[in-house]
Amino acid sequence: MANTDYSVPASAVHAVLREKGVNAVTTVPDFIQFALHDRLKNDPDMTYLECSAENQALTTAMGMYVGGLEPIVMMQNQGLLNCLNSLRSVGIDGSIPLVLFVGAFGREFSNLGQPLTDSRRVMVNRTQPVVEALGLPFYNLETPGDLPKVAEAFDTARATKRAAVVHFGYFPAWN
Amino acid sequence: MSMTNFQACGVIHQFRGDALITNTMSAMFAISAVSPSPLNLASVPLMGGASGLGLGLAIAQPNRQVMVLDGDSSLLMELGTLAQIGDVAPANFIHFVFNNSLQFSGVANLDRPGRNLDFCAVALGAGYASAQKIETPEALAAAMPELLEQNGPHMVELIIRAPEKFTHETPQPEIPELQFTRMGAESAAMMDALGTTR
Ligand SMILES: Cc1ncc(C[n+]2csc(CCOP(=O)(O)OP(=O)(O)O)c2C)c(N)n1
Repeated sequence: MANTDYSVPASAVHAVLREKGVNAVTTVPDFIQFALHDRLKNDPDMTYLECSAENQALTTAMGMYVGGLEPIVMMQNQGLLNCLNSLRSVGIDGSIPLVLFVGAFGREFSNLGQPLTDSRRVMVNRTQPVVEALGLPFYNLETPGDLPKVAEAFDTARATKRAAVVHFGYFPAWN
Repeated sequence: MSMTNFQACGVIHQFRGDALITNTMSAMFAISAVSPSPLNLASVPLMGGASGLGLGLAIAQPNRQVMVLDGDSSLLMELGTLAQIGDVAPANFIHFVFNNSLQFSGVANLDRPGRNLDFCAVALGAGYASAQKIETPEALAAAMPELLEQNGPHMVELIIRAPEKFTHETPQPEIPELQFTRMGAESAAMMDALGTTR
């Protein structure tokens, strides 16, 4: 497979977000998800808030959710490690079904198609074990065929009233 | 001059109406006792979360009054939140910082960082519409009508006198179970009250 074969079109992810009623984003932006950031920021139906740190993206998303909006939180793998305590509080103790979009910054292309845990880079190979250690579901998007996992993440988060992580193993495409 | 957490929360109670109040730390204990309501949401155990929760509520419920009852060290932990509050500039938003210059108020009364930090200056620098330091319950009561009437976001730094710390004669109690479940329970109660449960 060529590297580009791993890209999920950002437009397809955007369509799932619409289908799931998502109308807000809080974020510290992610290098991997640029194409998606670009789309969501320019969607007039989306409240899009840049935050100074991931803890704030999570607590602000919780406030939005309680107030009636349907936010997602976008960050990169370093950001996830930056906000574990807020994730525990908001996504588990607080029972807020937030879906986090997390990008695999630093993933070497030679790891594509291989287990994330085999990556040479700590921030890539520890992300899934950390999320699973919190007892939260982890959905890795590896190829366009994985797109249904995005909707599944929303369904699981909403059914269990807990956070869920959608992990972008590769750049979503700009189409 | 200074006031206690309970005095400050007593005044806030008189003026809150149907405001949504996010709260944390020693202000949480005071507001819960003085002004219990399904419209209160504690950030616990979550240091620094009250301002983000309040901003999210203000974005989702722009016509509601939102009040944040923050700790001084808690705000320092998530000081960057002032940047977003300045950007969004919610009109019905009052950010109270319970400044006792301590952390673990009434428990250990430890010093906090930022002895030279001016919360009002930082808030104004971030784009808050107003900022003021208030030292007595009377002055707070006098300021409230205008804070509610004028467009925010407003920063109100309350100068708080902390209770005595624990000693050997007053041993630390176990933290009640409630404190570990209340964030979920209170967010559910607030959603019920707002009609946003799903
Ligand atoms: C992430 C994190 N680090 C440390 C603590 C321990 N802790 C609990 S309360 C507190 C100080 C809070 O101070 P402040 O916000 O000023 O509230 P006050 O005690 O003065 O009411 C600290 C450091 C914590 N709860 N969370």
